Amino acid sequence: MKDAIANALAESQARELMLYLLGNVPGLPPIVQTFHIAGICIVVGSIVMINLRFLGIAVPSQDITEMLNRLMPWMWWALLVNVLSGLVFVIARPLRYFYNPVFPYKLALLIPAVILAFLVYRLNRSEQKYWESSSSRLRYGQFIATVSLALWVGVIISGRWIAYWDYLPFFYE
Amino acid sequence: MNEESSVPFTEFWSWLQALPLSEHIGFTWWFPLLESIHVLAIGFVVGTILMVDLRLLGLAAVRYPASRITLELVPWTWLGFVVAFITGFGLFMAGATRYVENPAFQIKFMLLPLAALNMAWFQFRTMRTISSWDDATVPPTTAKLAGATSLLLWIGVLLAGRWTGHLL
Repeated sequence: MKDAIANALAESQARELMLYLLGNVPGLPPIVQTFHIAGICIVVGSIVMINLRFLGIAVPSQDITEMLNRLMPWMWWALLVNVLSGLVFVIARPLRYFYNPVFPYKLALLIPAVILAFLVYRLNRSEQKYWESSSSRLRYGQFIATVSLALWVGVIISGRWIAYWDYLPFFYE
Repeated sequence: MNEESSVPFTEFWSWLQALPLSEHIGFTWWFPLLESIHVLAIGFVVGTILMVDLRLLGLAAVRYPASRITLELVPWTWLGFVVAFITGFGLFMAGATRYVENPAFQIKFMLLPLAALNMAWFQFRTMRTISSWDDATVPPTTAKLAGATSLLLWIGVLLAGRWTGHLL
């Protein structure tokens, strides 16, 4: 199935268009990448700071419920920007990404990171003060925050390594 | 490239680039490692500055005093900045002679001091009067101006920084 999607994309007109735009609009690749990096900055400013707050090591005066209400909408929009700006490059060069050894690792970290963020956000939506209403819930939240933090750091780091997979000998030896 | 470099201290950049550490970074997985940490650190620098800027513009977190948002986030900005500076310097060492000639890199290092000046100006002029507008949902024009300037400069830093890699 992966081969089918990769080949369909590689032969599509969308690919031709993206490749043409990236190659002919002056500065378009770094501009689209800057959107991607700005999205990363918002992810750090929202979910990463919320996780650090859960763990009691950042922004002590802001409460978890209020941070989730205020910052998570920013995160969802940033995530959308990241998916779209990322897709520009995947569509332009599908084979490069579909057969990149690091790319699956990034997705494998990203998907659970998004699911955990949604879970924390959703439970807070269904019941305000959800995470602060008991110490067992807070501990449960702190466990999720630790995992989430590791996942987001992994997503950001592995994202950059997509372009450098050939520096890692175990991928081709 | 011109025969005569337009950039001063040519010999120093060559010396820096020829250090064993620079060559090690340039020819091994150290380069991508430093670069990936650089991006993470930038997330902290710009992510936290963005929150402060939006508060100064009166666009977000208006329920918190501007000073409190600033004070709670600034340690994370500094932490990110120190890590970004160290990793960035490592990346720079690996190709110093090429970076100093790189127009995107030159623009980035014109924008960074401007961002610092804007911060200093805000710190020493606007923050002096903060007690009179700390809780204001709509901060005074000078604070808004500092926030907007900072936002634009940092977006410029991101763009110029990312563009640097396309001109090597």
